[in-house]
Amino acid sequence: MNKIYLWGVIITVLMLVVTYYTLVITAGDSGKDLSEILSGDIVNLLTVLAAMALVVITVFVVIKYVRQMQVDTADGELVDDSWDDIGEFRNPVPQGWAVIFLATMVWAAWYFTIGYPVNSYSQIGEYNEDTKVLNDKFTKDFADKMQEFSEEEKTEYMINMGESVFLSECKVCHGLSADGIDGKSADLNVWGSAKAIVDTINNGAKGLNYPMGDMPDRNGIMNANKDYAPITDLEIEIVSSYVANGMKGEGSDVFAGACSSCHGLDGKGMGGMSPNLASYGTAEFTVDVLNRGKKGFIGSMPAFNRLNATQKQAVGAYITSLTK
Amino acid sequence: MVDRPLEYDYTIAKLFMMNAIFVGIVGMFVGVLIAWQMAYPGLNTFLGEGLAEYTNFSRLRVLHTDSVIYGFVLSSVWSTWYFVGQRVLKVSMAESKTLMMIGYLHFWIYFAASAVIVVSLLMGITTSKEYAEFEWPLDLGITVIWLLWGASIAGLVGMRREKTLYVSIWYYVATFLAVAMLHLFNNLEVPTYFLSGGIGAWYHSVSMYSGTNDALVQWWFGHNAVAFVLTTPIVAIIYYFLPKESGQAIYSYKLSLLSFWGLMFVYLWAGGHHVLYSTVPDWVQTMGSIFSIVLILPSWGSAINMLLTMKGEWQQVASSPIIKFMILGSTFYMFSTLEGPIQAIKSVNAIAHFTDWIVGHVHDGALGWVGFTIVAAIYHMAPRFFKREIYSKSLMATQFWIQTLGIVLYFTSMWIAGITQGMMWRAHDEYGNLAYSFIDTVTVLHPYFTLRAVGGTLYLIGFIMFAYNIYKTTSAREIDESELQNASPMGA
Amino acid sequence: MFHWLEKNPFAFALGVFITIAFAGLVEIVPNFAESARPLVGTTPYSTLELAGRHVYINNSCNACHSQLIRPFKSETDRYGHYSLSGEYAFDRPFLWGSKRTGPDLLRVGNYRTTDWHEHHMKDPAGVVPGSIMPAYKWMYKNETDIDTAYAEQLTVASFFKTPYTFTKDIGTENARMIPMKDGSTTYIEMGDTLEDAKRLALAEAKLIVADMKDEDVKDAVSKGKIPEIVAIIAYMNSLK
Ligand code: HEC
Ligand code: HEC
Ligand code: HEC
Ligand code: HEM
Ligand code: HEM
Ligand SMILES: [Ca+2]
Ligand SMILES: [Ca+2]
Ligand SMILES: [Cu+2]
Repeated sequence: MNKIYLWGVIITVLMLVVTYYTLVITAGDSGKDLSEILSGDIVNLLTVLAAMALVVITVFVVIKYVRQMQVDTADGELVDDSWDDIGEFRNPVPQGWAVIFLATMVWAAWYFTIGYPVNSYSQIGEYNEDTKVLNDKFTKDFADKMQEFSEEEKTEYMINMGESVFLSECKVCHGLSADGIDGKSADLNVWGSAKAIVDTINNGAKGLNYPMGDMPDRNGIMNANKDYAPITDLEIEIVSSYVANGMKGEGSDVFAGACSSCHGLDGKGMGGMSPNLASYGTAEFTVDVLNRGKKGFIGSMPAFNRLNATQKQAVGAYITSLTK
Repeated sequence: MVDRPLEYDYTIAKLFMMNAIFVGIVGMFVGVLIAWQMAYPGLNTFLGEGLAEYTNFSRLRVLHTDSVIYGFVLSSVWSTWYFVGQRVLKVSMAESKTLMMIGYLHFWIYFAASAVIVVSLLMGITTSKEYAEFEWPLDLGITVIWLLWGASIAGLVGMRREKTLYVSIWYYVATFLAVAMLHLFNNLEVPTYFLSGGIGAWYHSVSMYSGTNDALVQWWFGHNAVAFVLTTPIVAIIYYFLPKESGQAIYSYKLSLLSFWGLMFVYLWAGGHHVLYSTVPDWVQTMGSIFSIVLILPSWGSAINMLLTMKGEWQQVASSPIIKFMILGSTFYMFSTLEGPIQAIKSVNAIAHFTDWIVGHVHDGALGWVGFTIVAAIYHMAPRFFKREIYSKSLMATQFWIQTLGIVLYFTSMWIAGITQGMMWRAHDEYGNLAYSFIDTVTVLHPYFTLRAVGGTLYLIGFIMFAYNIYKTTSAREIDESELQNASPMGA
Repeated sequence: MFHWLEKNPFAFALGVFITIAFAGLVEIVPNFAESARPLVGTTPYSTLELAGRHVYINNSCNACHSQLIRPFKSETDRYGHYSLSGEYAFDRPFLWGSKRTGPDLLRVGNYRTTDWHEHHMKDPAGVVPGSIMPAYKWMYKNETDIDTAYAEQLTVASFFKTPYTFTKDIGTENARMIPMKDGSTTYIEMGDTLEDAKRLALAEAKLIVADMKDEDVKDAVSKGKIPEIVAIIAYMNSLK
């Protein structure tokens, strides 16, 4: 076989392989198969097709001319001038080229005047349609799943979805393993457990923007039942387990004495004055944090209004699952 | 008409050639450096923390783009202008003291301005507009330099003995006019020092346009700066050097003619493809896409004319590295002028824009088309400058293959990186959430950034071989005038 | 005809010029006035924010970061509402960028905060493992050029009628009130003199360093100096 064809084949195959490979990487470990990537998004399909066309057309056309270099001979009538001995033939323009040039011009004129005249397309209109289609699809999928799933499957589904949100939205601050990256933000593997509450009582809490303001550190927390003596290590230990246990078991007396002035006897935050500790460590509490943002001792987290309700609930489920 | 051959004066052409090679090495070295920095960010402090302000990616990137485009490419274009201009117009610079004066001024003011630009970019003095980063004092300097070139064109053309203008001259003239217009309008800016009564940095200015308008003007400029710095003058170059080196007549005058006027007309309308899906009006975007598709044909017209000029001359392609450079250059020109329009289709641009696929496209053109054509031109000119044969043909051949491999690595890696990243950004997972966080789409590119850096390094190595070859040519075997008709003489 | 042109350089040049000149007019002029109009709720930059914007430009952050959210669900999910033309009305120059080596920053003020930037700009990979963004440590030392920012404010206020209000004009009819989304109006204060401008910038800087940890930076601000990092954070926070 002529070497030039071989080169053409090599280049075409190389670029096909390379392009196929981009699909493989894109799928990554998201569990999609390749046809799904192309069928799920028309833009992907068009891009891949266009990329193929680019390689094939260039290779094909260049080979055509290289063949002419190899087998044809140059001739024609020369023009009268020559510049520094460079001559010019009066050859006609290549027909294919001329026809396509003309065709593209006609097409362009058609496009502007008849096909899609000036204001007939709106990219925002297209966005609204696309977004609606995607949203509807996911809402429906979600509703279907919630119908057919058992409780257990539902929880698992939410946790997985939450993990996905966490990995794209939260991990820049909380780290891949949610450990808070050396204290740069909250360690969510601990958060929600008794240990984290011990920390909170020792150091206080701030930044959720409750009417009650900040929670003082341990020096500011007195036990009313003990004549307003500062809270002790033992009491902290007990009350923390109590709260982490969903306000059950030993410790209700310490809570009543030290915490209820702000969080209410039932721990529910006295109608929005302070956080509802009955939901501490659960998805609801996380949703509350995401709605408010959190300005902490080691940094601050913005409110996440751009997540929708399902996503917030899901990420809450995921975080709860980290400690449980 | 004079009957004995004219004694052309190549002094200015030589100065520009030396500058081109020198700045080429520097600019491409910086390109290689930033390519490695993207793969290994530790290199941002390769001269230590203390100098990181001047050695980090973001300061160096502009230095790379401006030095290769306005240093390497423009110097080369001017070097060929002072060579080709004399020859196809049949006048010698030596015939006019004024023209020589203009030439010297042109070079030295340009040289001085380049030095100021390098320093100021390193200091972080930039207006942020891509390829037009310079503040107003430099804009003025650039205007002077440009006018000097204009004077040189007007002078040589005015004194010409060849009545009809050759194709190369068309393209040089178009380059001059278009860039003058673009430079002027994109750089309308208000110096703040004077309007505030002398407060702050004296060189600072603020753009005449704001927001969407500024973007529209900038990319009208940016797109056409590409057209009239990285395309038309290079077409001017190949229209002279390919037929000259090969001794073949241009395939078709009509094709030259239609391609030229087609390109002039269509190019200017296509700038909208840089602002697709932005806030510029939809119809302007559509116009950019449509005209980009039409643009394939006048672009390919020139390339096809070049390939057909070599019709039946395969043995020359096979045996001459200079011709190889130009034929592969034309091929890359076809590739990038089809790739560009494809990336200009709105749906494709949705993926391609903002990614490395665009960077790949840029370098298909810059390394394959621009770089190779310039290398060929300088190889052709050097024996004429020094009256000596080119030092080593085998070195040329090696350079050709090393650089070709470099380009292949560059564009395949950027092809993968760009399309992958573009698709990852768009991907939603089965829950309807974004499938990837941004950083996932960065870390996945590491292997391709590395591959690109390797490719770029190969290209640079090839370029250094080129510089060495030209340097050695200044002391290679002497030849006499009659050996210089077409094919350039080369030593083994 | 063409052959005639090729023999008459002046006519040739004129022909070329006419061919290339009018495309720009047709594309740029028709929507020019409309595109220059600010959106309700869009305000010009304060002195410190503008100085931060200069730091952003001088360091070519736009080489890696875009500020243009395209109307795709994947982008609005990631970055927030798609860009609107009027939001950019006070951007001179525009900073859309053309390469997204790092994420879009048009609304980064909505989801990143002062202390996050403080850590991130010092050591990006320490905060986001795998980041390839350079560390910008010198910004914690270099002093911000408030003078040039103020000069630019004065220039745009007089030359382009950008709605800044001199301190002395607050509450008078010379105040340039800007309509907000909720129907109220607001004004953006600009110093009467360079000294005033510096005082305003410093006051703004103090609010920012209150959220910062770096002792040297806090120290500098308490001494009346504004390191570049403070200005660039002010700018980042203003991007919403
Ligand atoms: C002076 C009022 C006050 C007292 C007393 C108080 N709290 Fe709080 N607590 C608050 C406020 C206000 C917040 C919300 C702080 C914020 O904005 O993050 C809070 C938050 C919390 C949180 C959630 C922290 C987080 O992760 O966001 C826990 C857990 C908590 N309190 C437990 C307790 C316990 C247990 C006690 C008793 C030992 C107690 N608090 C006593 C006012 C108080
Ligand atoms: C810009 C950085 C940042 C991002 C992004 C971020 N967080 Fe946080 N997060 C923080 C910081 C800082 C704290 C507070 C640490 C402290 O206690 O001082 C915090 C605290 C929390 C807490 C504990 C709140 C409390 O009351 O103690 C939860 C739960 C949480 N984040 C969940 C999330 C979730 C879910 C996401 C993503 C949707 C997220 N975070 C994204 C920085 C961030
Ligand atoms: C070499 C390219 C590069 C340069 C130059 C660069 N960045 Fe970045 N930037 C990145 C990458 C990659 C990320 C994503 C990873 C991360 O968060 O560090 C990023 C992230 C960011 C983020 C976080 C945005 C988000 O949504 O998480 C901010 C803010 C930022 N950069 C600001 C800047 C500023 C300000 C400058 C200039 C002074 C700058 N960057 C220069 C590459 C760069
Ligand atoms: C028919 C011809 C061409 C068309 C239609 C075209 C089209 C395009 C498009 C659509 C982009 C991407 C814009 C974006 O989404 O960011 C682009 C970028 C670019 N192209 Fe081309 N291209 C063509 C030829 C060339 C050639 C021959 C070169 C020469 C080197 C070149 C150099 C560039 C450069 C430097 C950029 C980057 C601009 C930036 O900084 O964003 N193009 N081109
Ligand atoms: C040794 C060869 C070269 C290497 C390794 C190289 C590398 C690079 C790198 C790493 C970038 C930045 C890409 C990014 O930000 O993602 C870049 C940008 C660029 N380079 Fe090169 N380069 C080389 C040669 C050239 C030459 C010869 C030219 C022009 C003639 C050129 C023109 C450009 C342009 C225009 C850009 C900006 C592209 C854009 O903004 O889209 N480069 N190059
Ligand atoms: Ca300028
Ligand atoms: Ca660019
Ligand atoms: Cu373009």
